[in-house]
Amino acid sequence: MLDAGDRLVLADGVVFCNGTLVDAVARASWPVNATGALVLARSGCALGDVADDVAATFVVSVERARTDVLSFAWELNRLALANVDRRAGRVRHAVAWLRLAVRLAPAGTLPAITVRRLRLDTRTIPRAIAGVGRAGAGRGAGIAVAVAVLVAHIGLLAGRPSLLLPVAVGLASGGGLIVHEAAHAAALRGIPSALVFRGRRVSVLHAPAGPGRRALVAAAGPGVTAIIGTGLLAVSVSYSTPALALVAGPAVVHALALTVLASDGRTACEL
Amino acid sequence: MRALRALALGTVAVGMLAYAVAAAAAVIVQAGGGVLDVHVGPLVLVAVERSGAVTSTMFGPGLLAVAALGGLANAAAAALLARRARRRARVPQMIDR
Repeated sequence: MLDAGDRLVLADGVVFCNGTLVDAVARASWPVNATGALVLARSGCALGDVADDVAATFVVSVERARTDVLSFAWELNRLALANVDRRAGRVRHAVAWLRLAVRLAPAGTLPAITVRRLRLDTRTIPRAIAGVGRAGAGRGAGIAVAVAVLVAHIGLLAGRPSLLLPVAVGLASGGGLIVHEAAHAAALRGIPSALVFRGRRVSVLHAPAGPGRRALVAAAGPGVTAIIGTGLLAVSVSYSTPALALVAGPAVVHALALTVLASDGRTACEL
Repeated sequence: MRALRALALGTVAVGMLAYAVAAAAAVIVQAGGGVLDVHVGPLVLVAVERSGAVTSTMFGPGLLAVAALGGLANAAAAALLARRARRRARVPQMIDR
């Protein structure tokens, strides 16, 4: 969902030169027409102002220019080539999104969510892991809080209120996501990459690699997380600690992503 | 190669999940002070036994059998997906002709 006050900013690793939009990470390029070139030249300006410029330059109605500019911006964002800067007000946007979601509820659909692409430094494994940690910290914290609240609620309903266990399970769930993506990033050492947040999904965009390396990268995320979870489970069995088994549970579930049920598993099997 | 990879990944994934379920059951039984014996036919999945103050937990070969079945199911699903993808890719060629 885009607004006239939003600003379009090319993502790290994406450049516009000689009428062509080049993605250095995905090693892909797209020719851009004159209107697109004008929009990209105004990168960083409010989309409403860019639409006014397009209307004045190409002598079209402001409504038509606004529709074209928003569609183009939307397409660039969908392809993870540009990020949307909402410095005009995230809260106002969130309220508008919720209102539209309520209106669309009878149709059983939700308003589209913008894509956010962040740079990932994969020159060394520590840099890659640190990069994922920084970029995914907010998302991980959100998951941790949501899971902790859910587990605390279940504990209350079961008549066994606890604070430590929900916090530990929440941290394991949020941490699991970060470990998963960090393992992907570590396996990508030396390959230009970017982290892409698409709604609730997080993925790693990277330059083309050989089939073996691609399979390794895909399997590394769920594999490493599930191995850590399995190790914690083994410790919990050895010391008879059910709480540790609960903490390990969310990490072991990542093993499902090794099968063809998940995109990582399908990529690892070249499907 | 794809079938082998799907078999290996499916085996590892289902093996880990089966172990997780068995370990969770075992640890709950251990904490509760009970005994447990889960098996499929002659294959033991997990067993928790007590003799005096000593508790022993055993993960049996049934887990390996479950993992192998999971691997086979994953390989079959991968083959099905690959066949569907090939069929989908063939349609435009037929239209071009």
